[in-house]
Amino acid sequence: MAAAEASIFSGSGDNSVWTDVSPLLQAACNGLQDGELIHGDNFNLYAAMSALEIMDPKMDSGMIGRYYSVDEAIDGGAAPIPISFDRTVDVQCTIDIMDHLLACEATWHKGHSLAQTVFSCIYLLRPERTTSHALLHSYSSVIRATCKAVISVVSDARTHEEEDLFTMMYGLNLNGEDEKCLSILNAVEETISRQLRACRALSARRKVLEDIEPLQNNPMLEEGYCRAILARLRFRKHFYHVLMCLKRPQGRGLQLARKHVASCISELKAIRELSGQHTACGGQTISEDRTTASGRQPVGFDASLNARLSAPTPPRSIKILSWSEAIEYFLKLLQDLDIISSCSLENSLDCVLHFVVQFQKSQPDLVARAHLQRLLLQDGKLFGREAIFSVISKAATLPEVVKNHDIEKMECVIQLGQLVINLLRILCANSAWQRRKLGKILQDWRVTYIQLELALRSKFGEPSGTPSGENICMNILKQLLVWVEEKVYWIASRFLMLGFELELYSTSEYGMVYWYIYVVSVKLVEKLHHRISISNRVKCRGKKKRVPGKDATRDIQFSPTVLFLQSHICLAEGLTMMLAALRNEKMILESPTPFNSDQERFFQHFELLQKAGIPDHNSYQSFEGSTKNASLSMLAMYNHFKDAQRIAKEVKSSFSDDPERLSELRRIEQVAEHNSVALSLLCRVGDALDSSLKLSFEFSHHPHFATAVVRRS
Amino acid sequence: MEQGAESASPGIDAGKADAVSRVRGLLFRRMLVGIKDGRFFLGNFHCLDKQGNIILQDTVEYRSTRRSSPSPMEQRCLGLILIPASCRTSCHVDTSIEERLSLLSLQDHHDQTS
Repeated sequence: MAAAEASIFSGSGDNSVWTDVSPLLQAACNGLQDGELIHGDNFNLYAAMSALEIMDPKMDSGMIGRYYSVDEAIDGGAAPIPISFDRTVDVQCTIDIMDHLLACEATWHKGHSLAQTVFSCIYLLRPERTTSHALLHSYSSVIRATCKAVISVVSDARTHEEEDLFTMMYGLNLNGEDEKCLSILNAVEETISRQLRACRALSARRKVLEDIEPLQNNPMLEEGYCRAILARLRFRKHFYHVLMCLKRPQGRGLQLARKHVASCISELKAIRELSGQHTACGGQTISEDRTTASGRQPVGFDASLNARLSAPTPPRSIKILSWSEAIEYFLKLLQDLDIISSCSLENSLDCVLHFVVQFQKSQPDLVARAHLQRLLLQDGKLFGREAIFSVISKAATLPEVVKNHDIEKMECVIQLGQLVINLLRILCANSAWQRRKLGKILQDWRVTYIQLELALRSKFGEPSGTPSGENICMNILKQLLVWVEEKVYWIASRFLMLGFELELYSTSEYGMVYWYIYVVSVKLVEKLHHRISISNRVKCRGKKKRVPGKDATRDIQFSPTVLFLQSHICLAEGLTMMLAALRNEKMILESPTPFNSDQERFFQHFELLQKAGIPDHNSYQSFEGSTKNASLSMLAMYNHFKDAQRIAKEVKSSFSDDPERLSELRRIEQVAEHNSVALSLLCRVGDALDSSLKLSFEFSHHPHFATAVVRRS
Repeated sequence: MEQGAESASPGIDAGKADAVSRVRGLLFRRMLVGIKDGRFFLGNFHCLDKQGNIILQDTVEYRSTRRSSPSPMEQRCLGLILIPASCRTSCHVDTSIEERLSLLSLQDHHDQTS
C-alpha cells in the first residue's frame, strides 16, 4: 500500500502506525499444518460460514463494476441533460423515462426494493441536476413526493413484513419540497396545454392567439406528443392528490379522493390509447416485455449503481414489470382505493368487519390494504372518530347507562379494546399472514374472556351499594361476555374458511374441516341469536304498550342474519355427513399415508383452535363420534342440503337491497342443489362407483363449499 | 529445493512456530487489507488459514468514488467478511512504533534463517 494511501487511514493513537505484516502472515501460513487455523477463543466455524466473501458476485455488492459511483456515471454521460439537443428526440426520450418510471414504481409496489426500481433512475438520484429540464424536473419531483407518501402509509400500517423490501431506503434521499412539486407540475402542465392549443389552432388554420414556442420541432408530431405528455403529467398530479386526500385524518378527504381516482383512471386509459398511435413515431418491434409505450429502452437507468444501497449483500436481479402490466396494476390499485373511499364512516363494527372481508375477496395489494387500515384505525379510534369502547358498546348492544359505570376503565375491558384494534389490523393483511395471526389471537381472546368472567364473579360476590346498580353492572358484563364469545367464533370461522382460499386442505381432510366449520358456526349463531334477542327485548321494554302474545312470537323468530348463517350451517353439516358416509362405505379411495393418522392430521390443522378451547379440548373424539355411523341410506332420509336450499330461499326476501348477500345465497342454493342430486345418485349407484364412475369435489359454485361431481371415468 | 520429510534446520521450525504465535498475538487487532480492485477493508483480525485467507470482524469497506485518484472515499459497514488470499494485495496492522520494530526484527530474523 502506498504511503499516501496509508495516510488516509488514521491509526488508533499518536504512537500508532500501520505495519505491513504480509511477510509475517506468509511465514505463519508456511508454519501452519494443513487444515489448521489461527483464531481466537470465540471463533465458531459455523458462524464463520456466514462471512461475506469478497469478490464473490453473489455476496460482494461493493465490487467495482462499470462505474465507481453515480457521479462517475454522470461524468461518463449516462444521464445527459438535456437528453438530446434535438428537441423531438428529447421529448421522445422523456416520455420513455416517464413510462419506465411508472413500470419501476409498479414493480416496487409489488414488493421489490426502491433502490432497484424507482431509484435505478440516475436523474432521481441527483435531483438538483434536472432543474433546467422542466419536464424531467417536475415529473421526478412528484414521483419522489409520491414514493414518500406511499412509504409513510405502508410504514404506519406495519403489516408489510411479508413484503419487507418495500420500505427500506438504505440512505436514499426522499426529502424534498413536497408542497412545491405540485406547483411546478401545474406550471409545466399549463405550458404544454398552451402548446397543444397553439398547434391545434395552426392545424385548423385558425389564428394563433399567443406566440408560444412549440414543444418540439416536428409539427406533424406536436399534437401527439403534447397529449401524451399531458396525460402522463395529469395522471401523476391526480394520483398525488389521491394519496394526499386519503391521508387526511378521520376520513375527511374520501369524497374528493374518489374524484381524483376517476381522473387518474381516465388519464391512464388515455395514455394507453395514445400509445397505440405513438408506436408509429419511431417505435421499434414491440415486445410484450417492453417497459415503455414506444418499446425503446429508456436513457438514464442503471440498477447496479445502487447495489450497495439495497442491502448488505447484492440484491437478486429482478424483472421490472412490463409497461402494460404496470398500467393494469395501477388501474387495479385505483379501483381498490375507490372502494376504500366509498366506505361509510357511519358504519358499525359488524358492517366494518363485513366490508373488510368483502374487500379482501378481490385480493388487493399492499398499498391498497395499508390505506384501508389507516382509514379504519387512527389514534386508536375507529375512523379516527369513535373510541373503541364506544364501538364495542354499540356492537354488543350494551345499554346506554354503561357510561355511568366504570366498566370502561376495567383492565380486561381495556384489553378487549386492544384486541378489537388488533383484529381490524390483522384483517387488512394479506390472507396468508392474516390466517396465521387469526389463529394465534384466539388464545388472547380466550384469556380476556376468562378475565371478564372472573370480574363478573367478583362483582357477584361484592357487597354492593345500590343493588340495582350492581345488577346493571353484572348484566353489562354478561352481555359483553356473550359478545366476546360470538367474536371468538367469528374469528375461528374466518380462520377455517381462509384455509380453503389458501388451498391448505387436501380432499381427504374436507370432512373434518366441514365438521369443524359446522360446530363453530353453530356456536356462532347461538351467540348471535342470543345477542339479537337481548337487544330486541330491550327495545320492547321501551315501548309503552305490551302485547304479551306478540312479544312471545318475536322472541322465537330468527333474524335474517341468523337464518343466513343457518343456511351455511346446513350446508356444512350436509357436506360433513356426505363425506363421512362416503368414507365409511369406502366409496372414496384414500391412499393411507404412512406418516400421519387421521387424529394427528386433525390436531395439526386445528391445533390453534384446540388450544383456545374452541369448541372444547376433545374435539377429535366428538368428530369421530358424530361421523362414524354416517351412511348413505341414513342421509337419504334426512337431507341437510334440502334444508339449506329451503332456508336460503326463505331468507332471500330480507336481503333484497343487498346484492352481495343475495348472490351468496344463490351460490349456497346451487351448491346445495348439486350436492343433493349427487347424493341421490350415489345412493342409487352404491358399489358401482368404483368401476364406471368417478367422484370428485370441486369449488365451482362457491369458494369454500365444495360440490360433489360424479363423472363417467 | 528438495527437502526430507523433516525440516532441515530446527532454526527454521522455531522461526515458523514463532511466526504462528506472533500472528496469533495479532488476533482482534485492527487490520487494513487492500484488494485488487482498489478497495480497502478495515476490521478486527479474526482468523487466518493456511492458504492465507483472512476473516475480519466488524469490517468497514472503503472505496474511491472515482477511478482517478485522489478522490473522496465512501465507506460502509459490512460485518464479518472473508478476504480470499488471491485478491489480497496488501495487509497492515495498527501497531505502536515499538511493536513495529519488534515485528520487523522478527521478519529479518526469519529471512536470515530461511
